[in-house]
Amino acid sequence: MNAEQEIVRVERLVKDFRPGFGLRRKRVLHGISFEVQKGEVFGFIGPNGAGKTTTLKVLMGLIRPTEGACSVLGHDVSETAFREQIGFAPESPYFYDFLTGREILDFYANLGGVSSKQRPDAVARVLEKVGLAHAADARLRTYSKGMLQRVAIAQALVHDPSVVFLDEPMSGLDPVGRKEIRDLIVELNSDGKTVFMNTHILSDVEMICDRVAIIVAGRIAYQGGVDGAIGGDERRVDVTLLGLTPEFAEQAGSRFGAELSGRGDRITMRTPEKQVSDLLSSALAQGAQVEELLPVRADLESLFLHAVEESSGGSES
Amino acid sequence: MTGKGPILAIAHNTLRDAVRNRVLYVLLFFALVMIVASALLSTLSYVERERILQDIGFSAIRFFGAGIAIFMGVGLVHREIDRRTIYTILSKPVTRAQFLLGKYLGLLATLWMQLAIMGASFWLVSGISGAPFDGGHLTALGLVAVELAVLVSIATLFSSFATPFLAASYSLGLYLVGHLTRDLRAIGEAGNSEVVQSVTVWIHRVLPDLSSFNRVIEAVHGIPIPNTEIGAALLAGLAWCTAFLGISVVTFARRDFR
Repeated sequence: MNAEQEIVRVERLVKDFRPGFGLRRKRVLHGISFEVQKGEVFGFIGPNGAGKTTTLKVLMGLIRPTEGACSVLGHDVSETAFREQIGFAPESPYFYDFLTGREILDFYANLGGVSSKQRPDAVARVLEKVGLAHAADARLRTYSKGMLQRVAIAQALVHDPSVVFLDEPMSGLDPVGRKEIRDLIVELNSDGKTVFMNTHILSDVEMICDRVAIIVAGRIAYQGGVDGAIGGDERRVDVTLLGLTPEFAEQAGSRFGAELSGRGDRITMRTPEKQVSDLLSSALAQGAQVEELLPVRADLESLFLHAVEESSGGSES
Repeated sequence: MTGKGPILAIAHNTLRDAVRNRVLYVLLFFALVMIVASALLSTLSYVERERILQDIGFSAIRFFGAGIAIFMGVGLVHREIDRRTIYTILSKPVTRAQFLLGKYLGLLATLWMQLAIMGASFWLVSGISGAPFDGGHLTALGLVAVELAVLVSIATLFSSFATPFLAASYSLGLYLVGHLTRDLRAIGEAGNSEVVQSVTVWIHRVLPDLSSFNRVIEAVHGIPIPNTEIGAALLAGLAWCTAFLGISVVTFARRDFR
């Protein structure tokens, strides 16, 4: 793997917490490993309490790893200077509400290393980008939750980082707000930024992520493309046919490895993609009509539930 | 960004946050009421009215200064963690030490501004009442400023790892003990027990001697304060601030922000 292309690298990361004074340590991350490539939108998904935010906090230097190594842009996460090149928007952010939108972004731009000369332009540009230009001079205490979420993203972008980490960026937003944030992430990605996103809203991930890692109970259960298949790489197609005899359907089912469903003379056969043309030839020769051909995509929800089931099965055994 | 940039930005923001805190104005109001009331209270006495006025005025300044320092200092870091504002700050190129120093300097600037307001009011009331106000008074006020710097560093230390209630208890405890260490040492030295003497000497050495910053009696009675003692107090103040902030930085660097 090309190290220059590797933006985030997490290797055998372990994190233990002590729940309270004198209590035994509890392991929340069990040696997880994954990497994020340059220019991709990476979805880090998992159920509540799986360890998503803990992992992100380790990457942000807010929590120290117990074991393992984490780097961002080739720098160990305990370093500070490289953070000029990253942006982070936490979940349910709180900001100094006595400041206006413009003042808070100026503050963060200052911390992000933007010179005083460039700050007004940088702040105006990012306010425009997140759609807050109209409220720039209003105090944050008057902002809605959706507006604060945009401030969180704006402060992560104001110093023009090359990597952006977002923790549940769509959390608590209405459908319009979610779409706007999704569009913004896509825009950031097309600007060449790498986006790392923690979330449990699978539909959003499906729409915008190139790759995902699924974390369940502190372990990586899946890592790969969003289109990754369950139980093997074989893609399947739902072939819906009219006018088949039940006998032929049963025979074809076993011959072509298809699963049958439907009733009467309308039968749907979920068939491996490579068998579809043979199935169709055979069915057409029997005088059947083709009603529909629908490729079956292993959607993220299936993938996610499968990973969770496998993980809980594994932990039970 | 390296060096003082982030420290000043955080200090400026802390100052902005503090001056919008209404509780601060309530405390300041009562301090000013006490300073003004000192003029009225002094009229109840036939003798040494000016000294009574200034004793009460200085006491109000020191009492409210310490109160505000502890009240605001104990939540200084904890509030940032509780509200999670620290997440966005530390994800920028800002070290934890820079964050702590910025918060410390921001609060110290707030307190010194308040001290300046109280000092100006004290000067005004003294002037109206015909009481003297000279270099000795300014020196005493300057040493109050140093004491506040030490007190804020103590509050910052406890705020970096404890809840505000515990931090307030520890800070107040150390403040009170800090004003007794010199007396304890004197008591130990006056006694016959070598053990007691060595313990009290040890306490005096290990804990800050805050009474070295209290030169109110000299100021009020017009007794000159030797420059060597002023210099020693300044150096001690600087050393204690450095020590407490140094421990804060080490403690804070080890924390996980869950």
